[in-house]
Amino acid sequence: MRFRTAAVAALAAGLLIPAGALAQAPSYPEPADPGKVTPRPSGKGKTRTVCKKGCKFKTIQSAVNKSKAGDTVKVKRGTYREAVAIRGAKKSYLKILGNPSAPAKVVLDGRDKKQNGFLVDGADEVTIRGFKARNYSANGFFFVNVVGYTAQDLIAAKTGVYGIYAFNSKGGTMRDSEAYYTSDAGFYIGQTPAQVKPIRSIVTNIESWGNPLGWSGTNMRYVTITTSRFYNNAVGLAPNAMDSEKFPPAEDNVIRENEIFWNNFNFHEGAPFKIPTEGNAVLFPVGTGVLLFGGRRNVVEDNEIFGNYAVGVAALEAFLLEKNPQARALEGNIVRDNRFGLGGQDLNGRELAYDGNGSGNCFGSNTGVSVTIPADRSTLAPCPFTGANTFNPGVQGEMIGLAGKAGVAKWIRHPHAPKQGFQPLELFTP
Amino acid sequence: MPDRSTTRRSFFGLSAGAAFLCTIGGQEVRLDDPNAADRADALAAQVPRPPGAAPQDALAFPTPEPQPGGRKREYWVQARTRGWDVAPTGRDDWHGRPIPGKRNFRALVYQLMKPGFAAPNGPPLMPGPTLYAEVGDTLVVHFRNAATTLGQALTMHPHGVRYTPDYDGVYLGQHTRVGGFIAPGEEFTYTWEATPDSVGVWPYHDHGPNHTLNTFRGAFGAIVIRERGAEPPDVEQVLFLHQLLPPFTGLPRAFQAINGCTAAGNTPTIQTRVGQDVALHVIGMDNDFHDFHIHGHRWKDAAGAFVDTPTVGPNESITARFVEDNPGRWLYHCHVFSHQDAGMAGWYMASP
Repeated sequence: MRFRTAAVAALAAGLLIPAGALAQAPSYPEPADPGKVTPRPSGKGKTRTVCKKGCKFKTIQSAVNKSKAGDTVKVKRGTYREAVAIRGAKKSYLKILGNPSAPAKVVLDGRDKKQNGFLVDGADEVTIRGFKARNYSANGFFFVNVVGYTAQDLIAAKTGVYGIYAFNSKGGTMRDSEAYYTSDAGFYIGQTPAQVKPIRSIVTNIESWGNPLGWSGTNMRYVTITTSRFYNNAVGLAPNAMDSEKFPPAEDNVIRENEIFWNNFNFHEGAPFKIPTEGNAVLFPVGTGVLLFGGRRNVVEDNEIFGNYAVGVAALEAFLLEKNPQARALEGNIVRDNRFGLGGQDLNGRELAYDGNGSGNCFGSNTGVSVTIPADRSTLAPCPFTGANTFNPGVQGEMIGLAGKAGVAKWIRHPHAPKQGFQPLELFTP
Repeated sequence: MPDRSTTRRSFFGLSAGAAFLCTIGGQEVRLDDPNAADRADALAAQVPRPPGAAPQDALAFPTPEPQPGGRKREYWVQARTRGWDVAPTGRDDWHGRPIPGKRNFRALVYQLMKPGFAAPNGPPLMPGPTLYAEVGDTLVVHFRNAATTLGQALTMHPHGVRYTPDYDGVYLGQHTRVGGFIAPGEEFTYTWEATPDSVGVWPYHDHGPNHTLNTFRGAFGAIVIRERGAEPPDVEQVLFLHQLLPPFTGLPRAFQAINGCTAAGNTPTIQTRVGQDVALHVIGMDNDFHDFHIHGHRWKDAAGAFVDTPTVGPNESITARFVEDNPGRWLYHCHVFSHQDAGMAGWYMASP
């Protein structure tokens, strides 16, 4: 236990500014209960067109300001240097349409001065399709305090915190989108209020690469992530529990049928964004496919996981929770039917790692499992499993040793199999 | 010269049982014309979310776990609307005639999904997915109301299995428990127990505020509970006998249906071979009594008597189980004469 305590203290010392706190910087809207969904307006609504020349509306914001619930704003090609805010129930069901088949032709550029490309605050079921947002100091596309949204055919690049982000919201769809070179996570759903009859968020066909985290999910709930790719990040996906946001831990999420590979981006040595030197980002275990950092009833199944040098799937007690210690334990999480190592062609450093914390966690019917933490697999209970797992503090210490910059030294490298259209990213070179 | 089409419509109208009453949100609704479904849907969409369990219903119930040796059988099921053709071939293959007139309507059905509702795990059909369990198991059914265009609460209410009031899946006005009102877009996890007295075949169906209309337009499916370790039959088919009536479909005539389709060639064609263990599970899913007959076959009922045309009432089930010993093309049908000739029939094909 001494080792464990020392490790926690060492890690906690690095947390000068939690990543979640970044998301709640003073100029962010205060989280509020999203409540019930705003009723759908009757009728088709009006359509307004935005373009650089020859249109009544030269900015997206001016068209949004004139729009009522259910209206449509069409945006023609060009680069718009603005930060669009869509606020309040009167803007619910708005559709903001760029070019869904070529999002890169309709660009919002924050030039590192503006905060969010699109901010949707308290307006339910807003659709944003067909845009690229780049160079924003916070997020590319940000939904907060809403019930339902659609983020589709979007590209977020070089944003200061997250690419596409939904916070304190119920339900929503992220699909057919890409995020890269963000300073924290490409995609993020966090602080989901607990619901007895939840509205699920569906995330499908997204690509996240070149980020410290492909997917971050602090205290995320009822999210299904499927048929997506997470590659060339430091960590592919990390549903996690943190004090920095309300409602820990992450619960009832499903991660299935994704490709999770080559997440070995050692951004500490160079990155196309401001390299985090403090906060949780410095602790991310570079080289990890999926990290369950605390959480309940999360399912990781039927994924292709290969070429991650630290570990394919890791499950670790959320020991950083100080204010909410009751939410630290892993409970009822299932890791099953995943295929590791691309049939032996592109091995992970280790396939599975689990400290044995909590109860009801199991690992079943995964293929290609060869190297694990612990090596004797004593914590890796097969599925189905009920009751307390076998906690091993030494194993937890070994897993903590994979965290941060220092963890890279503990990688187990293997050659990658070629993958058409993809190049591994370990060290960034401009 | 009599107007034959008028005569036929009149006949089917009579078979539909014309005046149909149901109660939605405390209001009596007369379902007796093709616009009745729209009126009922509009009323159902206005039914407010119940405030929570009334004091006398405020008992707390734990969620059951499987018995020792049992396991959780998890299903992800959504309710959704879809266009539905009651006769995809356009013909009655038994009588060798086309099926005239409009055949498509908007059905409400259950659909099996992959975990997390990640993607469909089968087509949206009538009936919905069959749920299987053995004694000692729990059925854990993650249900989502994906019929957002209907704008009304839906549920899944099971027969046969054991459940606490929370998992009854029934709308009871102000006494409604948590599982009895799943609003559009919402998800709820029902947990039902397969107890020793659950062995058999049972229906499930919508029992929300608009349950009559919804079950009559397709929101139903079957549950099969077996003894622990029981061998499943070689061939197993669920057959729902029901009518698709004009007030519920908006179509100009009633259709006598099996699994949402009418007439041999559209209803399920059952394929077997001699020597196979065959189980046909037959469930009534409308206001009428039906019976079930397969030409050339007999089997034992629950009392051990040989039968070939047992009766099934609304939401009642029977199982015809036998070892195939009589090859050939056979007709199966409801033996209520006005049902069988009008489409409540299908092919049973036994190979040597």
